[in-house]
Amino acid sequence: MSRSQLDTLIHMANQIAINNAHYGDAAERVHTHLKKFWARSMKRQIVEYLHQDGSQLSPLARQAIERLAQHQSEARPTSA
Amino acid sequence: MLHYYDPKHAFDPSLVSPERDYGTPAQLSETLVTLEIDGTEITVPEGTSVLRAAALADINIPKLCASDNLEAFGSCRLCAVQIEGKRGLPASCTTPVEAGMQVTTQNTRLAKLRRNVMELYISDHPLDCLTCPANGDCELQDMAGAVGLREVRYGFDGENHLDAETDDSNPYFSFDPSKCIVCSRCVRACEEVQGTFALTIEGRGFESKVAAGQSEAFMDSECVSCGACVQACPTSTLMEKSVIDQGQPEHSVVTTCAYCGVGCSFKAEMQGDRVVRMVPYKGGDANHGHSCVKGRFAFGYATHPDRITTPLIRESIDQPWREVGWEEAITFAAERLKAIQAKYGRESIGGITSSRCTNEETYLVQKLVRTAFGNNNTDTCARVCHSPTGFGLKATLGESAGTQTFDSVMKADTIVVIGANPTDAHPVFASQMRRRLRQGAELIVVDPRRIDLLKTPHHLGAQHLALRPGTNVAMVNALAHVVISEGLEDREFIAKRCDESGYQAWREFILDERHSPENVEAITGVPAEQVRRAARTYANAPNGAIYYGLGVTEHSQGSSMVMGIANLALATGNIGREGVGVNPLRGQNNVQGSCDMGSFPHELPGYQHVGDPAVRERFEAAWGVPIDDEPGLRIPNMFDAAVAGDFKALYVQGEDIAQSDPNTQHVEQALRSLECLIVQDIFLNETAKFAHVLLPGSSFLEKDGTFTNAERRINRVRKVMPPLAGKQDWEVTVELSNALGYPMHYDHPSQIMDEIASLTPSFTGVSYARLDELGSIQWPCNETYPTGMPTMHVEDFPIGLGQFAITDYIASEERSNRRFPLLLTTGRILSQYNVGAQTRRTDNQAWHDEDVLELHPADAELRGVRDGDWVGITSRAGQTVLRARVSDRMPPGVVYTTFHHPGSGANVITTDSSDWATNCPEYKVTAVQVEKVSQPSAWQRQFQSFDRLQLQLLHGAKDEAARPPTAERANE
Repeated sequence: MSRSQLDTLIHMANQIAINNAHYGDAAERVHTHLKKFWARSMKRQIVEYLHQDGSQLSPLARQAIERLAQHQSEARPTSA
Repeated sequence: MLHYYDPKHAFDPSLVSPERDYGTPAQLSETLVTLEIDGTEITVPEGTSVLRAAALADINIPKLCASDNLEAFGSCRLCAVQIEGKRGLPASCTTPVEAGMQVTTQNTRLAKLRRNVMELYISDHPLDCLTCPANGDCELQDMAGAVGLREVRYGFDGENHLDAETDDSNPYFSFDPSKCIVCSRCVRACEEVQGTFALTIEGRGFESKVAAGQSEAFMDSECVSCGACVQACPTSTLMEKSVIDQGQPEHSVVTTCAYCGVGCSFKAEMQGDRVVRMVPYKGGDANHGHSCVKGRFAFGYATHPDRITTPLIRESIDQPWREVGWEEAITFAAERLKAIQAKYGRESIGGITSSRCTNEETYLVQKLVRTAFGNNNTDTCARVCHSPTGFGLKATLGESAGTQTFDSVMKADTIVVIGANPTDAHPVFASQMRRRLRQGAELIVVDPRRIDLLKTPHHLGAQHLALRPGTNVAMVNALAHVVISEGLEDREFIAKRCDESGYQAWREFILDERHSPENVEAITGVPAEQVRRAARTYANAPNGAIYYGLGVTEHSQGSSMVMGIANLALATGNIGREGVGVNPLRGQNNVQGSCDMGSFPHELPGYQHVGDPAVRERFEAAWGVPIDDEPGLRIPNMFDAAVAGDFKALYVQGEDIAQSDPNTQHVEQALRSLECLIVQDIFLNETAKFAHVLLPGSSFLEKDGTFTNAERRINRVRKVMPPLAGKQDWEVTVELSNALGYPMHYDHPSQIMDEIASLTPSFTGVSYARLDELGSIQWPCNETYPTGMPTMHVEDFPIGLGQFAITDYIASEERSNRRFPLLLTTGRILSQYNVGAQTRRTDNQAWHDEDVLELHPADAELRGVRDGDWVGITSRAGQTVLRARVSDRMPPGVVYTTFHHPGSGANVITTDSSDWATNCPEYKVTAVQVEKVSQPSAWQRQFQSFDRLQLQLLHGAKDEAARPPTAERANE
């Protein structure tokens, strides 16, 4: 019984969020965590999910991924 | 035994050679005492024995029952000396030096006494010296020679022990009591060195004899086969069977054990290129001459007939393997990797470095991924064991490593062991810990199971917080709550060394009543009073030290728990000196090293983030290619991507992810999805059964390099025999890289270390020359710390101030329910190592030839399960079948197994639940149901047929090559 790749990523993002929820700067911490530890393809998928649906993300995870999306769109395009 | 006079060493007692035995242990007193021995003046620390003082002056008094790794015993009387102004002839081993003492070690009277003593010994000893296995290495024989024994006036017809029967029950050593002189060295080694107390002297006077357990065979006793007794025996009474079979070794090489993270130094004692025995090296700073059953005895796998000695390739995993030359295999692999990248993109391939290989080899694999592959898809097995340690300690203390030396435990007053089972998983360090416990240190164990450390002989009053699996963070918060609410914190340390605002935020958090032991009791199941007492014992101790293992990291909150432990140490000021600290006990031999060497997808060597442009610039300048600025995939992410169809090729060096990683069926699905799997290993391991290219690996005996142990100690690995397949692992990676078009040029691993030193700030002072000079180095080693750093964070933290972390307890999603009412936790056993690929191919099988499921009598009774029954264990991930062992070591509701045998399928049951920060799998908590069954699970039946098929495909390749059959093969 395995989750799909996207389900796993959503689960991971929510897990990171809940474990950082107690900090004052929680959204930034979660964003930094995703930025520092997630691979490019994982970031791309979770941002895509945010734009398409995002309903399974906790509010904190959503905020963090919004920041991630914003930074990504500002960053230089990456080669495949 | 003749010692040559060396003016450099003769008069400096601080210069001791690990090659010599000085008779009694060194004393550490700073008060010095000067005496005269045979007219030679010598100054030694107060408390030193006359025997040792003489030995330091190179005056070698005959001795039999004395050894410098044991306390003086004074039983053989051979080391008697004459001391001016004292009556009689006292034993020099039990006589401490006194200022102005005048000692005579040789005169007619002493000679006569010694000869008489030897005469009595030899009157009850077989005179078969020429055919005795100890011939060439017998202290009894040496002493007979030294005292000039010429006759035995008593004759040999009297009552004697010459017909005593040999106990051959242990697979590695024999016990021949007919040769025993009852010097008690074995008994004392078992007590003082190993701490097991399995041996004793039974009977009195002439009837005295060495006995194991309750006069049982060695294998039936509590003996753990560490071999300390064998090493201590001055005769051939306790003797390695390999020496009995092969004779005495003729040369030796100092190297480092390739089993656990203790990193013991050994002398590989050789005949030509064949290892006769491994003897723990007294000069090794991690083990000081001690070892366990794995390191000392379980090296036979290196020459096992299952070794892969020729490269193998195949188009698909249902085809027979084809034996090919190195060049063809490398070309085949490289062309496939290039084709896959051309078709699916740069990020479609990756590599896994090995925590069993050397630093140099690990460094090269991650370099290959970052350069030749052009991405950061590199990871290592630390992902599934200690990645939370890296994350948690870096966030709080600023460095991803333990803070102490192993020796530091000898200054600890309270020892806290959390989620670790050192007597099984880190046995040599456990022996040292037990030595400290016998000296009176307090012990607190936080673990669901009643681990053997709690039963340390001659240690009473250990505290056991037997918490429910998965509630670590609740527990550590409760302990911290007590420390702060009862005012037990170290205010001076916090004010001086920790970030103030972070501390205040944490203080407010932890003082919340929801963290009080009384409120947490319902979560952990541990009575509040026990928690309060433990917190006080730790906080009030002059030195409190925390040791932890995978029972901390392998949880959905593994990283939180590591940070929670760091919080506790910071709050009590237990950081930055000997006797304290936060000490992860690392699993595999080079887990620390593989992390240090940049194996993680987000970090270049030395924990330097790939997103840092300044860091990348330095590596790009050295490596000559651009480095991807985004982290790559971690192992579980690689599996997910493979199943999703985005990840197509993997190069795995010396790891067995198909057996060791959780949710086996998912891993197998991922491996089957790969278009090219390249495995480099010494055996056809479980992962290799899914591979297209199998490159023969080399064992630790076949290569040069370094391992870094759990105390950050970089130790040399030295080649003692040629690689069976002709190449050391680093050479294979070099060739693969060259074939991929990224040229690598190294003639020797020392050049790779030089490159590591040039790019890793914590390694700038490390080189092979320096390692040879110092023996070992604990990183950081640089201009500021040219000989390394035994204790970290003495003055400040690499991040300046210590950072408290808010660690809220979030319950794992793996919790018991009506369908899965029990919690499974997995672990290790002394005689087997990790996936067992090595130890299963040795006589260590005699101790543990199958994985069993331990469960509490109440849980067993409820299910009608009796000891030895087959039981099916089912989780949401899968089912497997094991034999039951009913054991009250387990609390009710918790079951336990090991994962040393592939067919057990322990990881068929473990799930994809993982640490929030690092994806380290939650091996320690799986909700399961257990029931009586009569046949193997569906997965096991499928495993057996797949295993059979893959062995046929391998043997087909071997038969086709039509090599002359060896003796072993003929016997198969």
